[in-house]
Amino acid sequence: MMAGLLQILFDALSLGSLYALGALGIALIFGVMRLVNFAHGDVMAFSIFALLWPSVDAMAIVFAGNLPWFLLVPFVLAVGAGLSVLCEVLVFRRFRRASPATMMIASFALGFVIRYFLLMLFSSRPKSISLLPELSQPVEVLGAYIPLLQVITIIVTLLVLFALTGFLRRTRFGLEMRAAAENFTMARMLGVRANRVIMGAFALSGMLAAASALILAAQTGTADIQMGAGVMLMAFIATVIGGLGSLPGAVLAGFLIGAASVLMQVVLPPEARPFRDAFVYGAVILVLIFRPQGLLPARGTKERV
Amino acid sequence: MTRTSILRRTVATPVLLSLILVALALVTYLIGSRPFNQTMIDLFIRVIMVVGLYIFIGNSGVISFGHTAFACLGGYMAAWLTIPPMMKGTLLPGLPSWLAAIHLPFWVAAMIAAVWAGLWALIFGRILMRLSGIAASIATFALLAMINTIYSNWSSVTGGTSSVVGIPIVRALWPYLIAAVVAIFVAWAHAISRAGLALRAARDEPTAAMASGIDIPRERLVAFALSGAVMGLGGALYAHSIGVVTPDTFYLGLTFTTLSMLVVGGMSSLTGAVLGVVLLSLLIQVLRWLEAGVPIGTSSFALPNGLQEIVLGIIMILILMRRPAGLFGRSELTLPRPGQGGTTPRTTAGTPP
Amino acid sequence: MSLLALSDVTVRYGRLTAVREVSFRMQEGEILFITGPNGAGKSSLLRAIAGVTPPAGGRIDLGNSDITGHSPEDIARRGLSMVPEGREVFGSLTIEENLLVGTGMRAREQGGRTRAASALDEVYETFPILRERRQTQAGLLSGGQQQMLVIGRALMTNPRLIAIDEPSLGLAPNITDQVYERLLHLQRQRSLTLLIVEQSSTRAMMVGGRMILMRGGQVVMDGDAVAMGQSEALHAAYFGYGDA
Repeated sequence: MMAGLLQILFDALSLGSLYALGALGIALIFGVMRLVNFAHGDVMAFSIFALLWPSVDAMAIVFAGNLPWFLLVPFVLAVGAGLSVLCEVLVFRRFRRASPATMMIASFALGFVIRYFLLMLFSSRPKSISLLPELSQPVEVLGAYIPLLQVITIIVTLLVLFALTGFLRRTRFGLEMRAAAENFTMARMLGVRANRVIMGAFALSGMLAAASALILAAQTGTADIQMGAGVMLMAFIATVIGGLGSLPGAVLAGFLIGAASVLMQVVLPPEARPFRDAFVYGAVILVLIFRPQGLLPARGTKERV
Repeated sequence: MTRTSILRRTVATPVLLSLILVALALVTYLIGSRPFNQTMIDLFIRVIMVVGLYIFIGNSGVISFGHTAFACLGGYMAAWLTIPPMMKGTLLPGLPSWLAAIHLPFWVAAMIAAVWAGLWALIFGRILMRLSGIAASIATFALLAMINTIYSNWSSVTGGTSSVVGIPIVRALWPYLIAAVVAIFVAWAHAISRAGLALRAARDEPTAAMASGIDIPRERLVAFALSGAVMGLGGALYAHSIGVVTPDTFYLGLTFTTLSMLVVGGMSSLTGAVLGVVLLSLLIQVLRWLEAGVPIGTSSFALPNGLQEIVLGIIMILILMRRPAGLFGRSELTLPRPGQGGTTPRTTAGTPP
Repeated sequence: MSLLALSDVTVRYGRLTAVREVSFRMQEGEILFITGPNGAGKSSLLRAIAGVTPPAGGRIDLGNSDITGHSPEDIARRGLSMVPEGREVFGSLTIEENLLVGTGMRAREQGGRTRAASALDEVYETFPILRERRQTQAGLLSGGQQQMLVIGRALMTNPRLIAIDEPSLGLAPNITDQVYERLLHLQRQRSLTLLIVEQSSTRAMMVGGRMILMRGGQVVMDGDAVAMGQSEALHAAYFGYGDA
């Protein structure tokens, strides 16, 4: 009984971690630029596919994919950060004065471009990859057998949150980012370099995307062009529920959605289980009725009349 | 500014747009080729859908990523109503017996599908329209995913992820043409109505609109429901054009295509919606030919698969960068007046500049 | 050479012209007030100078550099600090964090003596109330305290010129008195150059210095604040008597 509950708890925490990381990546950029980055999921997929290049076989990890983990992980993170920054420099920079709606559609289009670029190179069939197979072994925790990967996911997420909080609160760059997120123009009038702050946000966001992708790929054992889509939708929703622009809100909502998802999996009768996601989306829409501004709305995102 | 004078002044737009479509239909008839006919059917269906998008997005300024869900609802309703009952029994055992027994002509089914979709749009819209712009957009995305998940898993009723076949295929061009013209006139009628005006006022100046007594969520809901119905119509006809539906037919790919056509043409312009479809359909067709392989001399030159979407995406980004209002901005196609050109910017009051 | 020179600066928002070919110069150490009725273009002018809104025409020089159309951060780094209308504190940051945003330096190390720390000390000297409440979130401060915070914040970058838009907005008169008292104290202490937009020309006349009156986007009068205040011409110009 205890073991079962513990397993559910870890399921919820590890799924919540995945969503929280994704939501954080979205919230970071939204906070600084008011941009909902629909390309985030495709940056995720790209980071993983970078491991497979240049082979297009159905089963392959070549080149970077064969590196030991302490080189592989930074490589993937660097790819994610790099692509993200490239998106900013090539595309989003030209949209500085655009409306949030315009930027949103542009990111949607950009996501498609990235996705179909991958399609062109790799074909749409999912590829099985064996990423860090050591991690799928179960570990004993208080009588329950939890996959090591789940434990690592949770630990990594907590570390990331800790590191990010420290970065934002204690470094100058972090301070500049927080100021820029609250009032971009005012920050610039104090000498904060707009482009640097934004690039920093994109780099961080890209790294978060890559980290999410690594976890996802290790969990599912496949690399699929669409792999980002599921997590990303939940991440977007978490950002909205958490309060657009609020980092703590996004993380909290990510964990809540993960918990709700796992809970539904357990509670729903078997016939209804395939509809689990639909229930989650539905629950989300309900939350939005009662609290349209989100759980922890960020200051500074209110419109001034 | 009386009702009839606004009518007379602006009716040129839907008439001209319809004439363009009629001209295209005539050309198709004259060419007489089956593949070309199919291409034109696709085009007309997209006109219906993009016009449906325009009714909501263009007038409210809120981006909806979820409208394809209503096309899905409409398409499957058309399937439920028109597939021969015997096939329905085997394919979709979960359908209630009265539904399984129904067998309607396609045009009746299409109208019912439109109403069905519109009703659901009304229900969902009631919830979503109170959200702010960005939150609403993300919520529509969730709506799309929700419908997709439901339809992909409710196998007994929808066939799940496998294709639902047996939908009677309508190969004649004129039903699609008529539906497209109807959609255009519906959009125009809404745009010049009080509801449309109020919504555009709210789009441009929400605070002033509220102060003038406009109930923004209500006006948005009206547009949402209407556009949902039009999308439902488009979905139903789409089903009839290929005879097969799956949930993924009405998912991200279609969302991307229709949205890009609206964006490129001009989000706030009915003319932009229609002509955006025409222009981009042309481009897509050219890219398709190139992807299939073009013989040059003795060898064949083929573009890699997937390039179509990449080109479309890049064009969309470029247009958004340079002309965020799209090719037509807020202008509509009208008859030239003495001293004016062929397009007139539509002001919120419907008066000429 | 003048510290700030504007030549025929024009600012447009779409088809609306807010500032029409405005020219003037400021010398180092000067106090210049810009007054005028609502919609005269005063704030727009300041925003053009600070780089927030690039001018549609004309030229702005800071010292011997042309800063026309430069980015706000570049202009700030060249020594022009702007305090915009409505104060614009970073509400979720503490007072100390607000002050440190522009300095490009880490939060004060324990016992360390960095440039930021000494600048911080000076600001706390001038505005003791800020030191008392330095870990408080800026959003919780009163209007007057916020105004002092944003002035202190502008000082942290060691500017040559501070441009302030409507410092008395929303403040009770006695609080405004305090703010101005501190401001002028600073000006004397560091020979700062001050460019102040004030809707109330009375304040300008109390403080003294030079005054420019703007109306309809143009400079209508330019002279000594006290002298102008005593002339009939000021009233006429303010309200547009005698206009066509």
